[in-house]
Amino acid sequence: MPFRDLSNIQLDVLKEVSNIGMGHATTALSQMIGQTVHLRVPHVTITEISEVPEQLGGAEKLMVGITLQILGDARGSIMLLFPKESAHRLLCSLLVQQGKTLAMNELAISALKEVGNILASAYLSALGKLLNKTLIPSVPLLAYDMAGSLVDNVLIELSQSSDFALMVETDFSGGSDQEHAIRGHFFLLPDPATLDIFLSAAGEPHG
Amino acid sequence: MADRISIAQARIGRTPAILKAYGLGSCIAVSLYDPDAGIGALGHMLLPCRPKQNPLSSENKYVDAGIFQMVDELVRAGANRERLVAKITGGANMFETSYQTLINSIGARNAKSARETLAELGIPLLAEEIGGNRGRSVEFDLSTGTMIVCSSHEYGQVSL
Repeated sequence: MPFRDLSNIQLDVLKEVSNIGMGHATTALSQMIGQTVHLRVPHVTITEISEVPEQLGGAEKLMVGITLQILGDARGSIMLLFPKESAHRLLCSLLVQQGKTLAMNELAISALKEVGNILASAYLSALGKLLNKTLIPSVPLLAYDMAGSLVDNVLIELSQSSDFALMVETDFSGGSDQEHAIRGHFFLLPDPATLDIFLSAAGEPHG
Repeated sequence: MADRISIAQARIGRTPAILKAYGLGSCIAVSLYDPDAGIGALGHMLLPCRPKQNPLSSENKYVDAGIFQMVDELVRAGANRERLVAKITGGANMFETSYQTLINSIGARNAKSARETLAELGIPLLAEEIGGNRGRSVEFDLSTGTMIVCSSHEYGQVSL
């Protein structure tokens, strides 16, 4: 079903579904970094594909991006974005030896992918239980580059069936100190073909 | 900003404008230029070929349809088709290729479609900066026809 035809109630369902998933994901993240992680209320945007890099904070913004495909009963993508300072602070929480600035060596890449894997798994597992469906994350892929170039892969897949992207975005931040917080953005991009599975949470009529 | 070209967009400019496209991953930026008229276009495309069964889908998403569209608009704006020259950049493979071969990656297919479409139109491809696994940003200067390509990771910049 085309994204633009979604009602406000259906958009609220997507927010709520994602919120539940994020609750589990951030619990997992808290346990990993040993600090409380706060969630912001998710928001859903439906934008033209060309506007997506700006929604992410700007096409040139340097970010660590971890992408995963959603496999199983529903399809789509998950994208986790960390601005580079947050990626660095996250690594400092997880690993013993870290320099003063972000160094994307093998260990760092591996640790960040693992974070992506754990968050996506927690998220999809919660969603799967809620929707009574099987949702599995693919192997995570990581790149450290401009936001615009990170999101290409995801948008290419999506643009084959739609000119619009639906993104459910949740910002999260961990760490007691505002100034040194670990901030991240979690994006759910459902495939239009299986969107009705995500909407089924509310028992909404759809089609 | 009118001179920033986002995904699935293309725009015409006249000297001395500068058209820009940022954050190219596997996307391709194609510049077309008529040096005598000082008119050109920059397109930022996502997919190699427009499928036959979906002719109404927006052209600028596709390398082939997007290039045809840019040429049409340039001619309508006063460019001489015989003088048009092209340059391309982008087509990187941003994430690791654990389950895709390099040849089949979308970036490479976008570049291939660009070369083939330009050849079909008889437009010379003067230069290309394609592939790799870094994001790129490009500025296309309509006063000279130069394409400046830079990457976020201090790999310097390349002038095409």
